[in-house]
Amino acid sequence: MHNADIRVLLVDDEEIIRDCITAYLEDEGFIVQSAASAEEALETIAAIRPAVCISDLRLTGMNGERFIVKAHSLCPATVYLLHTGTLYSLSDELREIGMTADDVLLKPIHDLSKLVNKIKQSAAAGRTV
Amino acid sequence: MSAKSAEIFFKSESRYRTLVENSCDIIFSLDTEGNFTFVSHAWKTVLGHDRGDAVGHNFRKFIHPEDIPRYETSIMTALQTNSAQEVTYRIHHADGSWRWHTSRGTPHVDENGVLTVIGMAYDVTERLRIEEIMTQTEKMIMISGMAAGMAHEINNPLGAILQHAQNIERRVSTGIPANLKAAAEVGVDLDLVRAYLQKRGIFDFIGHIRTAGMRASVIISNMLYFSRRSESGAEYIDLSALLDRVLELAGTDYHLKKKYDFRRIDLQRDYAADLPLVPLVVAELEQVLLNIIHNAAQAMAGAAMRREPRITLRTRLSEGMVLIEIEDNGPGMDEATRLRIFEPFFSTKEVGVSTGLGLSVAYAIVTKGHRGAIEVQSRPGEGSCFTVKLPLQGKA
Ligand SMILES: Nc1ncnc2c1ncn2[C@@H]1O[C@H](COP(=O)(O)OP(=O)(O)OP(=O)(O)O)[C@@H](O)[C@H]1O
Ligand SMILES: [Mg+2]
Repeated sequence: MHNADIRVLLVDDEEIIRDCITAYLEDEGFIVQSAASAEEALETIAAIRPAVCISDLRLTGMNGERFIVKAHSLCPATVYLLHTGTLYSLSDELREIGMTADDVLLKPIHDLSKLVNKIKQSAAAGRTV
Repeated sequence: MSAKSAEIFFKSESRYRTLVENSCDIIFSLDTEGNFTFVSHAWKTVLGHDRGDAVGHNFRKFIHPEDIPRYETSIMTALQTNSAQEVTYRIHHADGSWRWHTSRGTPHVDENGVLTVIGMAYDVTERLRIEEIMTQTEKMIMISGMAAGMAHEINNPLGAILQHAQNIERRVSTGIPANLKAAAEVGVDLDLVRAYLQKRGIFDFIGHIRTAGMRASVIISNMLYFSRRSESGAEYIDLSALLDRVLELAGTDYHLKKKYDFRRIDLQRDYAADLPLVPLVVAELEQVLLNIIHNAAQAMAGAAMRREPRITLRTRLSEGMVLIEIEDNGPGMDEATRLRIFEPFFSTKEVGVSTGLGLSVAYAIVTKGHRGAIEVQSRPGEGSCFTVKLPLQGKA
């Protein structure tokens, strides 16, 4: 799969985080869209149908955990990654939709090329499901 | 008992004597020079020394050198102000250890008109140990709340620093078509731009931003252990094998090699043969033990050692806990240092090299993550011994 064929949705309430990750992913050729809240992302996710959605855990409003559960019911084909700055172990609900510890990304990501690899893997795996 | 009947009761010298000799506390008297003129039977039961070793000898013979001035002051004050004085100090036990005692002494003029100090002393070692653990626990509770909040606030700015530094590196690279296009639009040659940046050291600066950011990030992620809750992830592990692996890791850690040669240290293993498997989180316990061994090796390398540096790893079972002891024969530490080593950011080492998080992280992992305990004993000039205690039962 070409990066240009992979749509990524990024959910984070901090603009600077959306900016730096978007810049990197766009340089890699991905199609990136971002949302500042879970509520905003839920409005657009069905239209975007991203291959991969990366969500912050602590968001103002609905948190990342609940967001992913809801988003999954709208877009079950999307692979969800949780991006968090605190130690976190997956809730049962997130395990049920197939997430594993590998899908939790610890902030700050030191090297964004690792994120790129993770997105590619996830997108490839998502297509086969 | 009224004052009158008490007088009658105590009139008999033998009653006094029986009381004094049966007291669990040490009852003693000292002359104005500080020589014992009497010690009760408890002297032998509490401290293991013969009474004859004390009488006629000076208190200074038994009291920890660091505590002698305090003891002297208390006696002087009692005599000068004619009042009872309390003092807490370390006193030598016949088994070679130091025990903490509190004593209360009062000036007394005996029937021959001789001035003495009479008093009572009792062991407070266990009480102080428990107080120390409680203080430690309180400190940790305060810090853990702060750490989680701080980590959350700092990780995003840190992410921006690290990731934008990476973005800058990439946006001046020739590998990305959009860069070449933008350069052409403004009429510059990207290779020349890169040559300029190279010449002025800009690439190095960006590299330094990333290194510094990563260092800060490691500190923050270490602090997350303070707010860690006990959770699963524990497996039943063969402790002897884990200790062997940790020693191997310690020997190959390149950070260590830079500072000293781990191979010069005499490593002694004294593992209990009958240990059951112990429930623990492997990566975390490895970190704990590595931190302790790392410290021991650093301490021995930093001190002028007149003996061969040695680290002894010991394991044994005690009261449903498995004990891991890591003992070194390095410089040890004084009491003031010992009391602070589990505090985050407490370090006696070079700033910028050590953050002072090693033992505080170890403390959090052992006490919060594994419901165990970690303690230290140390004698300046002789060495230190860390004890990690882990429960054999998994978490309740
Ligand atoms: N085995 C030891 N012998 C003597 N002093 C020790 C020993 N272990 C620890 N210390 C003292 O405890 C202090 C705190 O140790 P800790 O591991 O928390 O921090 P650090 O080693 O200074 O820094 P870092 O571990 O972050 O590199 C040390 O600076 C040192 O003074
Ligand atoms: Mg250390």
